[in-house]
Amino acid sequence: MTRSLPDDRPDDPATSTGSDAVADADPATVTGGSAADDRGRIKVGVGELAVATDESTLTTSGLGSCVAVALVDERAGVRGLLHAMLPTGEGRPTAASRPAKYVDTGVDTLIGALDDAGADPRRLEARVAGGAEMLDLTDAVGPRNVERVGEVLDSVGVPIVASDVGDTVGRTVRFDPDGRLVIRAADGFERAI
Amino acid sequence: MRVDVRALGACNRLAERGAKQAAGALSDLTGTDLAVEVTGASVASGEDLAESFAGRESIGVSVGLRGGLDGEAVLAFDAVNADALLSLLPGGQSMERSAVTEVGNIALGGFLDGWANYLGKAIDMSPPRYFEADGAAVLPDGALAGDGVFLFESRLDATTTDLDFSIYMLPDSGPFRDLIVGKTAPAVTAGGEADGGTTSTAVPYESLSTFSSLAKRGSANAADNISMMTGLETSVDVSRLRFVPLADVPAEVGTEPHAGTVFELQGEPSGYLAILFEESSAAAVADAMLPMETDEPLGEMAQNALCELGNVMTSGFIDGWANVLGTTISHSPPEFVHDIGASTISPLVAKLSQRQDYGFVIDTAIQTEGIQARCDVYALPDERELARALDRLSES
Repeated sequence: MTRSLPDDRPDDPATSTGSDAVADADPATVTGGSAADDRGRIKVGVGELAVATDESTLTTSGLGSCVAVALVDERAGVRGLLHAMLPTGEGRPTAASRPAKYVDTGVDTLIGALDDAGADPRRLEARVAGGAEMLDLTDAVGPRNVERVGEVLDSVGVPIVASDVGDTVGRTVRFDPDGRLVIRAADGFERAI
Repeated sequence: MRVDVRALGACNRLAERGAKQAAGALSDLTGTDLAVEVTGASVASGEDLAESFAGRESIGVSVGLRGGLDGEAVLAFDAVNADALLSLLPGGQSMERSAVTEVGNIALGGFLDGWANYLGKAIDMSPPRYFEADGAAVLPDGALAGDGVFLFESRLDATTTDLDFSIYMLPDSGPFRDLIVGKTAPAVTAGGEADGGTTSTAVPYESLSTFSSLAKRGSANAADNISMMTGLETSVDVSRLRFVPLADVPAEVGTEPHAGTVFELQGEPSGYLAILFEESSAAAVADAMLPMETDEPLGEMAQNALCELGNVMTSGFIDGWANVLGTTISHSPPEFVHDIGASTISPLVAKLSQRQDYGFVIDTAIQTEGIQARCDVYALPDERELARALDRLSES
């Protein structure tokens, strides 16, 4: 299906001149039902990912054992955020319909979406948060998620420049337009990486 | 007649699509961006509905359906919620009737579009009829008499307020019945979560009403146990079993700090049960249970008290289930949790997500006299095991 671009796109970044891929990209490409609100905040739900090429803030909340992967190509001004629940989608029937549910298929899909939005995959940098061991009852889903993020990013040559992972705390994250990932814990303590 | 409980997933997706259409239409009308936060499907018997609607006032819109679906669909807002809706609309209160009709019409239209696409047949809608109704009169004709009604409930997240609305449909319409019976369900589930055939999750239609018994019996037992333990009169506020995408469960718990206990269930069905209090409620309950004042609001003594409370509640719950299902279920020792609500439940959701995409959530608010506290119980059973137990129940 071909979609025509609306004319009133004041938020198109200056960098979006050039390739067709960039011109065709939405300011925020979202899969799985995330939505932007009027403050330019795009909420990314569990098992979802989103890409922003404007000044929007990408947020995801309530990370426990789930892991958030934030990727940015600073030069192109393109950012993406993934909130994955499980390490491996391989062999799972929902990996195709819901790739962002899994770390491996999610990271692949996110890189593809960033590429489509004008990012150069070779310039991407990653920040990672979450993957806590919230409960003794469930077997180490969090650490396995974090481990898988490392493997997948390593295989595609994207460096992890900072991370705030593990431990036993829940986290809410905000991916700002400047490429910083701001992490907030339940007690309100915030830190930027 | 048998129903594939996983086909409820297809119903849920259609409902979610309708809710998104409604959110989009409302965003246009109000100039506020709205997102669909949660959509759930549930089944309720006529008796339960009559009870839960007692004393409630609703406003909404009803349309008659012909073509791909026959019957009636009703979209309703609680009268209290309607004010929130109207406050979003320009010129709000003065145009209540037409605004609600318009919103209801758009939402139902979107909802039914999804069904029409899915069925490959057009559905004709009669012009929307606005109504204000007391109690269960809001429901489609015949809802109280039959086997029960399907409810699709959605919550939209507006910047300033949450907006809840419900869509009710009767299951006696042919294609809808076919869908839930599973005749057409494989087509829906094939690209999705169908990884083991549909038969393993098919249950007799009649046992759907057992779902609500599970919720009711479980929470009533839990409340009784609290009364016994604390000597305080405890009542069950709301209890319903809903069918929701697991990925939506953390958002439903929300980002406020919560404290409570989590259990693993073994038996038929296995799964998890989480009893979560908002922080202040947790502190109030622990305080009421402890003989002396404590320095820390949710320190070690409070944690022990909450674990003990969780234990008796969970025992009550699963005893209720085991009685209804005729099975044996046991639970692990309590694990105390205190963190962002969504974070505490995310590992449970992740664990279950390895096998299923949808979960049954039992919403129960239990209130104890004299204490300003309420808690939510999230029961997340393995869907195959629950279906098997329900199936066996109907055979005996």
